Amino acid sequence: MYRLFDEVSLLRASLQGETEAWGEIVARYKDAVFGLCLGFLHNPADAEDITHDAFIRAYENLRRYKLDKKFSTWIFTIASNLCRNRLRHRRYHPVIPPPDEIAGGSDPAVEYARDVRLGQVRKALDQLPYLYRTPLVLRFYNELAYNEIAEILAVPEGTVKTRIHRAKIQLKRIMEKDGLTDHVQR
Amino acid sequence: MYNDDLEHQLKETFEHEAALHRDRLEGLESRISEELEGRLPKPGFGDLIRDLVAPSKAGRMGQLVVLAATAAVFLIVGGLFLPELSPQLNPAERLAEAGGGVAFGTTVFLVPAPNASEVVLVGSFNNWEATPLADEDLDGIWRVELTLDPGRYEYAFVVDGQWWGQDPAADETVRSYGGYSSVRYIGLAGGDA
Repeated sequence: MYRLFDEVSLLRASLQGETEAWGEIVARYKDAVFGLCLGFLHNPADAEDITHDAFIRAYENLRRYKLDKKFSTWIFTIASNLCRNRLRHRRYHPVIPPPDEIAGGSDPAVEYARDVRLGQVRKALDQLPYLYRTPLVLRFYNELAYNEIAEILAVPEGTVKTRIHRAKIQLKRIMEKDGLTDHVQR
Repeated sequence: MYNDDLEHQLKETFEHEAALHRDRLEGLESRISEELEGRLPKPGFGDLIRDLVAPSKAGRMGQLVVLAATAAVFLIVGGLFLPELSPQLNPAERLAEAGGGVAFGTTVFLVPAPNASEVVLVGSFNNWEATPLADEDLDGIWRVELTLDPGRYEYAFVVDGQWWGQDPAADETVRSYGGYSSVRYIGLAGGDA
């Protein structure tokens, strides 16, 4: 029923308690929110939990959202804050990182090589401080502008640029040290 | 290595990882819709003000003007006497003076853990950083006292590294992040003293 509605109409309907309209909002944004959480935390179970919690909290606090602002920035901010809280919680619940999974594909050799290569990038990313990893996810997965990233992370735009720049330098160093540069150049 | 290569690799890595686990999101929208069924978003501050000053849209502007004018008069008159009426008070004194909520001061957190070697308190009041508890008389009851401003606080104990979020002394218990956390309302009606 709500599939053809525009975003503002969906949000207005949600404010009236139309939870199916909210479900449509969830359907439109769940991939982006999940990818953000997964990029931040590198833990699929945590990312799933937080994606769920972010949409519940956003609905509960929907009256705080201003319709003239981008909804994506708002929901990403909520998810980002929940990820940060989860990390604090994790200090007392150390988790074992999930094993690297290998997806199936048409050419197993090509798929395998790609999985290995991406797994190595992921390992390098995991060595970056959380502070540097988060703007990389928002920039290169969520494809956000610097000013949007700044709003989500509650830091000045200049800080975002600096962190992304430093993150890239650190990543290159890590990958060169671990002998991964060839993979990246290919 | 060129920047474009790296950016491309990053994008590919994030997207690949998300795609691998996307099946976890199957039916999420339906589950959330069902979970929220019958619930409305919480009323905002703006709604409360609107309800107070303007029961109908037609009269809203006029009533807002009257309200603003009244507030301005109070501010001007009040400003003349402000030094005498409102000396610098701490939050506890301010609340007591206002007569709102119950009196509050030190909040005690206790947890029985006779065999523990380390007990800490984490919560929204300390940014989820560890505040240690002590068992000075070795009776197995660990304790810490904190002075908290009025508000709602989520917290949990961590006993030898194990999360323990169901404090019987809490005002309520909430489930978050797959575990339990306790909640205390400090300086608010019905809450902790």
